[in-house]
Amino acid sequence: MSFFGFDPTAPQQQSHPQQHQHQQQQRSQHQQQRSQQPLDFEDTYKGYGDYQAEDEDFLNDETFGNNVELGNNFDFGHSQQQQQQPQVGQPPAAPVPHRSYVAAAASGTSQQAHMDAAVDLRPMESLWNPNSGAAANTAGPTGDQAEQPRVLSMEEIERNQRQMQMHPPPPPPQGYPAMQGYPMPPGNFMPPPGQNYPMMAPPPQQQQQHQQFQQMRPVFNQPNYMGYPGNAPPPHHQPQQPHQPQKQQMVAPQMQFPPQQQQQQQPVQQAPEQQAPHEQQLASQVAMPQMDRSSSSLSQSSNERDNFKGHPRQPHQRQPRNREPLTPEEQKRLEVRHAKVEKILKHSGLMTPRDKDFITRYQLSQIVTEDPYNEDFYFQVYKIIQRGGVVGESNKGLIARAYLEHSGHRLGGRYKRADIALQRMQSQVEKAVTVAKERPLRKQEKEQSRENSNTEGSNSAGVSSAGQSNDNRDGVLGKISSSLNSKAPRRQLQIPTSNKTLLNSLLVNDEHATAAKPTNPDALMEVTESLGNVELSQTARVRRRSSYAFTSVDQSSVLSRSGGRKFVLSLIETVYEEVLELEANLRSGKPIDNKKLWEALHINDELYEVCPFISMLSFDKGVKIMPRIFNFLEKDQKLKLLQTFFSELSHLNIIIISSYKTNPEPTESQLKQIDIFQTVFLKIIVSFLSSSSNFIEIMGLLLHLIKNNNVSFISTSKIGLNLITVLISRAALIRQDTNRSNMLSSPEISTWNEIYDKLFTALESKLAAVFPPKEYIQKVTSVHLKGHVAPGATPQHYDQAYIWQFLASLALSGKLNHQRIIIDEVRDQIFGTINEAEQLKETAKTPTESVDDLVYRREKLYQDLNLFLNVMGLVSRDGEISELK
Amino acid sequence: MSNTPLDLLKLNLDERVYVKLRGARSITGTLQAFDSHCNIVLSDCTETKYSLVDGILQSEERESEMLFVRGDSVTLITTPEDE
Repeated sequence: MSFFGFDPTAPQQQSHPQQHQHQQQQRSQHQQQRSQQPLDFEDTYKGYGDYQAEDEDFLNDETFGNNVELGNNFDFGHSQQQQQQPQVGQPPAAPVPHRSYVAAAASGTSQQAHMDAAVDLRPMESLWNPNSGAAANTAGPTGDQAEQPRVLSMEEIERNQRQMQMHPPPPPPQGYPAMQGYPMPPGNFMPPPGQNYPMMAPPPQQQQQHQQFQQMRPVFNQPNYMGYPGNAPPPHHQPQQPHQPQKQQMVAPQMQFPPQQQQQQQPVQQAPEQQAPHEQQLASQVAMPQMDRSSSSLSQSSNERDNFKGHPRQPHQRQPRNREPLTPEEQKRLEVRHAKVEKILKHSGLMTPRDKDFITRYQLSQIVTEDPYNEDFYFQVYKIIQRGGVVGESNKGLIARAYLEHSGHRLGGRYKRADIALQRMQSQVEKAVTVAKERPLRKQEKEQSRENSNTEGSNSAGVSSAGQSNDNRDGVLGKISSSLNSKAPRRQLQIPTSNKTLLNSLLVNDEHATAAKPTNPDALMEVTESLGNVELSQTARVRRRSSYAFTSVDQSSVLSRSGGRKFVLSLIETVYEEVLELEANLRSGKPIDNKKLWEALHINDELYEVCPFISMLSFDKGVKIMPRIFNFLEKDQKLKLLQTFFSELSHLNIIIISSYKTNPEPTESQLKQIDIFQTVFLKIIVSFLSSSSNFIEIMGLLLHLIKNNNVSFISTSKIGLNLITVLISRAALIRQDTNRSNMLSSPEISTWNEIYDKLFTALESKLAAVFPPKEYIQKVTSVHLKGHVAPGATPQHYDQAYIWQFLASLALSGKLNHQRIIIDEVRDQIFGTINEAEQLKETAKTPTESVDDLVYRREKLYQDLNLFLNVMGLVSRDGEISELK
Repeated sequence: MSNTPLDLLKLNLDERVYVKLRGARSITGTLQAFDSHCNIVLSDCTETKYSLVDGILQSEERESEMLFVRGDSVTLITTPEDE
């Protein structure tokens, strides 16, 4: 043994009770001792090494005590004082000469106080049995031996602690839940502990390990002991010392009863019998995996302990010194320390490494976010601002840039920085978390991307079939959600959403002209694909003709088609009356019934070619009452109202007067009307969309708009463009925000792609037309100028922000090739805007325009333009377009 | 609903109306309010006063933001022809 530096016989050990505090010295001294005293292996082990160590069973006594009833709840985290176990009055079959770590730690503080008080040598006994003290007195066969008072020395406590440290996941956790309620083997099967423990003497190999640990230990703990004052010569293996008294007691009886040694073999034979109930327990309880590793470390640590006890040659001299009281200061320190240890140990080891792993994974999965740029948006922006460091005038621009940078990021803007360490980590963790889900997911994604690419290229029929198979699987297996995280936790219940059926019916309804009545959206898509990507009912076809829009230019014709001016006006009056009545009811606390109001709105009225409701909006008073109407409508009513609104957009007077095509020379009152509509009605729509509508509803509205209207015409009007912008930007937001409430299902996404494609097809090649011609701009500007009579008012300029907003949101929702098309088509306008801005810089200032005004206009032009360019990761500044940094 | 003449007038609330008055005057404006005496309140109105000077009809216009017209001078209310 000496070659391991393990010397149990070193005489110096006993020189001082506080040797443990002087590890450094001890070690050096020990070096000397080692050279002096060779070790005799036989002496050390008394031949115990011959006995095979049973794998785990020998620990049962120590862990649970003897004869503990089935169903006991063990609390491994508490010290003696706290332990209240249900089992009462069962006399211990045999005392165990071991002491639990926890108990040792717990008793440590009080120990000095009643040094001589009899400390129960069978800690486990007392651990499980509240009145073990009394029980111990009546204890069984080897009771006398166990009842010997035992005092735990400081060294013992220290050693125990260190053992805990050496084996961070301490023994109890191993199989803890499984062993809970584990029936202890009947007494007759159990050899008396006295005989039991020699068997636990470790096999030589383990012994070696133990020796190594011992050598390492001081190194590990050095810092802890450095500060301790002391002069005692340090025996290297001082941890052994605490056991001296115990060993003396224990070894003796064993040697006295050689016959019993035969029984030592018993646990081995007994093993299968014990195993059986054990396994049953495992099966019936929540199976906590048996950890091979932890069990091995467990046996190792126990071996260590046994090893100490097994040493036959223990000098006696130390015992008295152990009892030497500590100074108050040291004691206080010790108490603090023990309190700490106690706290740490309280629940230590309750979880196996696997448990911890399990929990860690869950916690990590909570942190992981699919889209850090979105979820940690404010941090990202903050970071950028910090980095930029400019707090002055350009702060606003900086924030805006940061904002757009990240909104644009997901579109393949330049900021796809996979190299950010944090993100890499996140993606790794996420990968780890979703390993199980990944396979089906990837497949799905592949299909998805294939679908997308197909759709982009040509609208082949294969697209829909791919989507369909996907969708079928979705139906059979429930919703396959692509990822679970904090924002989208796994749902307990996955009900096939009514959304889908809603979408379905929505599509089917609109499809009534085509005879087919498809049962699922994808089949529907297939049909529509074959129809050339335009699904139109007969009436819708008529409506989509550009000439049709012009039939609505004459307001009186529109009115006549919806019942006549007088009829519409009287409807408005009725609506006003109803609203006033409802408001009166609201004030007086009467119940509110909006049925009459709803009827007055004639939303569902199909008697007229143009819905009377749309005609109501031709009048300012009809527009102005809308917010008050919305106060009294249910959500589905609002939705229906908006569906009607978007379907009949072409008839909307406001669209016609705000389109430069149908109304190239708007009058002041018309512009005022446009303003009113924008402030009143657009606000309602936006607030409705952002507060209570979901993705499908927005898609539905957009679908209504696309199918029943001539989109390219609508896009020539400011109001129309604004309305489209509102819809697609909201949809884009929800898509980016998918984690917020729930994931978008793949049919939802594919439907969205379809709708977007339709919209884009309708706009394609006419995108430049969203910019009103110069003459129109001049006209509007002049009218505005006329409107502002005040002489000092700053000249008005046509605000094109809404156009760039539209293009930005269109690009935001589109894919790369969509963006390319958009840029191609509006290239002239982009450069035109830049030129205009640059000219503003160069032109000699006219007296009417101040420098500030020019700078402002220039800034404004760039700001609007960049709104669009940023989406694609570009930025224009000082006449040049560069990549967004 | 639209049983009485004034009910018809009601439909034109908040709409532009053309009001013909005694004394060769007319007003175009947005109808804000009226009562049974046909007193009316108009906003953003243009008042036109016609007169014969040497046998030639001349008109004089005047704009006002808000106008109260006493009902006994009103001879006709209708929707404006242009605008």
